[in-house]
Order: sequence, then C-alpha cells, then structure tokens
Amino acid sequence: MPKMTIPIGPQHPVLKEPLGFLLTVEGERILDSVLRIGYVHRGIERLCQERSYVQNLYLMERVCGICSHVHTTTYCQGVEALLGLEVPPRGLNLRILLCELERIHSHLLWLGVLAENIGLTAVFMYAWRDREIALDIMEELSGGRVAHSANVIGGVRIDMDAEQVHSVLVRLDQLEQLMDAFLGVIRHERSFRARTRNVGHLSAEQVLRYCVVGPVARASGVDVDLRRDAPYAVYDRLHLEVITHDNGDVWARTLVRALETVESLHLCRQLLTGLPDGPTAVRAPRRVPPGEVVSRAEAPRGELFYYIRSDGSEKPARIKIRTPTLTTLITLRDQLRGIHTADVPTVLAGVDLCIACADR
Amino acid sequence: MNVDLIVEALREVFPAETIEVRPVPLDEVFVALPPSCIHPAVRLLVERFNLRHLSAITGQDLGDGIELLYHFWDGRGLTLRTTLPLEATSIVTLTDLIPGAAFFEREVSEMLRVSFNGHPDLRVLLMPDDWDGQPVMRQGGGE
Repeated sequence: MPKMTIPIGPQHPVLKEPLGFLLTVEGERILDSVLRIGYVHRGIERLCQERSYVQNLYLMERVCGICSHVHTTTYCQGVEALLGLEVPPRGLNLRILLCELERIHSHLLWLGVLAENIGLTAVFMYAWRDREIALDIMEELSGGRVAHSANVIGGVRIDMDAEQVHSVLVRLDQLEQLMDAFLGVIRHERSFRARTRNVGHLSAEQVLRYCVVGPVARASGVDVDLRRDAPYAVYDRLHLEVITHDNGDVWARTLVRALETVESLHLCRQLLTGLPDGPTAVRAPRRVPPGEVVSRAEAPRGELFYYIRSDGSEKPARIKIRTPTLTTLITLRDQLRGIHTADVPTVLAGVDLCIACADR
Repeated sequence: MNVDLIVEALREVFPAETIEVRPVPLDEVFVALPPSCIHPAVRLLVERFNLRHLSAITGQDLGDGIELLYHFWDGRGLTLRTTLPLEATSIVTLTDLIPGAAFFEREVSEMLRVSFNGHPDLRVLLMPDDWDGQPVMRQGGGE
C-alpha cells in the first residue's frame, strides 16, 4: 500500500486550540508524525520583562485559559519568596481552595472534551453541566469564572463568610454524588472502554525518559505529585491521596483524573472546615530585592515551573515559564505511531493538551 | 533526593574551584559549572543518582554572555548553571541522556541563538519559520 502524508491542523476538529501535524500513513495505520506548535505564541516571557511585578499578575493569568489561577499562584509564591513575605494562613487556604476548584473544573472540562471526541455526547453534556458547580463557586468568590484575579502578591483579595462556607460545602457534596455516575461510565460502560483501553499507551519508562508530569505520568504508574512530594502553601497540613494506575492508556488517564476530581473535593472540604481567622493578605513593596527563585506547583496537568530573576527594580529581569503540556507533546510521536487514524482524536484528547500554555 | 550527596560527588569529579554552590529560596540549590562540565555532570546525575527529571532549561542574556540554567527536580530542586561567551554560544546537547530535553533546547536555540551540538532536530519550536531575530535577547528581538 502506498504511503501518504496528511496534514492535520493547525485548525482541526479535535481541539479548539491550534496544533499542526503531518501524519505519514499507510492505509489506516500511522507510520510517523511531525508536530508543529507555536500558533498561539504570544511572547509572554519577553512581555513580562517590560511590565511591573503587579502588572505581570494579570499577564500570567492569561498564559492559560483553563488553569489561570495556578499560574498566578506559582508566580506569587516565587515573588513572595524573593520579598521574604509570609502570607497569612487564611490567604493561603483561600488561594489553595481556588487551585483545587480549578482542578475540578479543568478535569471535568477535559472529561467532556474526551467524551465528545469518542462519540459519548451525553457524557460531554453532563460533565460540562456539573462543571458549572465549580465555576459558579469560583465566580461567587472572585467575580470571574475563569480569570479570577484572586491572587495578589502577599495573599488573596477574596474572602468568604460563614454562610458562604456552608453554601459551598453543600454544593461540593452534590458534586461528589454526581461524580459517581462518571466513575460508573468510566469503569463499566462498554463503548467507553472499547474506545479508550490500550489506546495511546505510555510506559513508566517513556514517562521518565520524556520528563512527563501530572495525571499522564500517574496513569502510567509513576507516583509523583508536588502537593505531596514537595508540599507548598498549606498542603503539608492536608490529607491527600495520590491516585495512580498502571495501565498507561487513555482509559487509565480518565480514571485517574476522575478520582483526582473526587480527591480535590475532599481537599476543598478540608480547606473550608479548617479555614483560619485573620487577614487574607499583607502589603507587598513594589520593588523586589535582587535575587532569583524557582517556584513550582501542581497544576491540573502536572508540575508547573516558574523561574524568576530580579535585578532590584520594579520589573523582573527574567521570568521562565515551563508548563506541563510542553513535555507531554513530545510523547505524541510515540503514542501515534502504529495506531489507526480513527484513534487520533482519542490520543490527542486523552493527554489533555493545553496549547496556549505550551506556546505561551 | 539528597542534594548534598550530589554536590559532594560533583566536587569529587570536577575540580572544586570550578564549582560554585548557592542555596536559593524555596528549597533549591544552584551549582555553577563551566560549559564543558555540563554534559558529564548530567551523566553523573542520571547514571549514579537516577535523577532524570529535567523540569526546564532557562536561557538568559546577561549582556556579556548567555546563561543556561538546567533545572532538575526529584523531591528537591537542583539547578546546574553555566555561562556561554557571546562569541561561542554552543554547548553539547543533553538529548542523548534525557530525551525530554529536546523541546527545551529547541526553545533556547531559537530564543537566544544557542546551538546544541548533537541535537537531532533543532527546528524552530514556537516562532514562525521566517522570523528573523532572537526574542529573549536584549538586542535583536526581530520585527
């Protein structure tokens, strides 16, 4: 059978974000693929060198349209370390509460995208309906559904009263009950398993070789989670169970993310019931003393990395951002090799790519 | 990961006067090395300490040289730092030891005109194919 080269993207039916592929196929089988990213490169690392530390908060929030809050969390954590600021416990609790709510919304959004791509439109509808619970809570707390502007250098600018805490706890219980239905579909639904089992397989060795992080690594049996392994903010005071699975396929990634969503609900409950009293932020000076810092956090897709260098002025001398998707993208060549073209959407959706994050 | 053990091993292998160790906030250690020592040092991290997780490579233009930072992580952070002179901005690739470094090196290559010798595919990663310039350099960002 003759070999053919098919371009897919940058605009394509799988993801809403642009990503280019050149697939070499023989019949229905994929022999090789060449990836091209950068279609939403905005030069954020360069732009932030020309803005003050406070202005950069709003720029960092726009690296990603899904996990915006964890970007500002990692950035603030780094700048606060350079300033030697101690964030009040209540501020840290609320900051991490939003991080976990964001993980819930990100995982449910992704579950919907995957379900739609494999033809389970009902699951897509229900996942996005239930995701609204997390979005509503975040909107009530911060005023924004996706861009919250909740973090400030020195803490958070949001707060909640006892009535709000109670109302959020009730809705978290509702969402946990709704998650049972998704777990049932993932574990037992025949068509779901048929489309996702043994598709897009990555071994633990491949994960380590390509420095892959987050749920994709954990679904291949690599037990790593910064929230437990290098606890930042308040994670050392929370009980967290890290979810792993040995299958390494799209099905395992789905199960890991669904169970992580439930785990995040438990974390939110711990954060709300143990919410300390006191202020939510301290004042931060505009100038940052010279120095450098490496700040890491566990974003919904895995380890998020910021390097910040200050030369003592009001603007950073260099900020480097490494998002989890960048290393996951390298694995796509291995994952696509040898599979049928019909499984391409499952593989692409299955790793939970955030192209805007990777391109910056 | 025991960073102290790694630093001790690096001091054993390379002359102590070429190494500079500095703690950085948030539980990170920076170790400065000459460019020629980076590849052997990473080989030591991978082979003796099984430290394979490279979080990122940061490149920055210091005015009188290009500084590269190789950020490793395994429970704690360890960063290897080296500076390339402006007249010879090339260094040996790490992709033979850590294949996950491929995209990091491509990005540093296009942003700061650093050549990674032995890299299997140094095409541009993020910038348009016809872009002329290095956006993260102090001068010469392009259009």
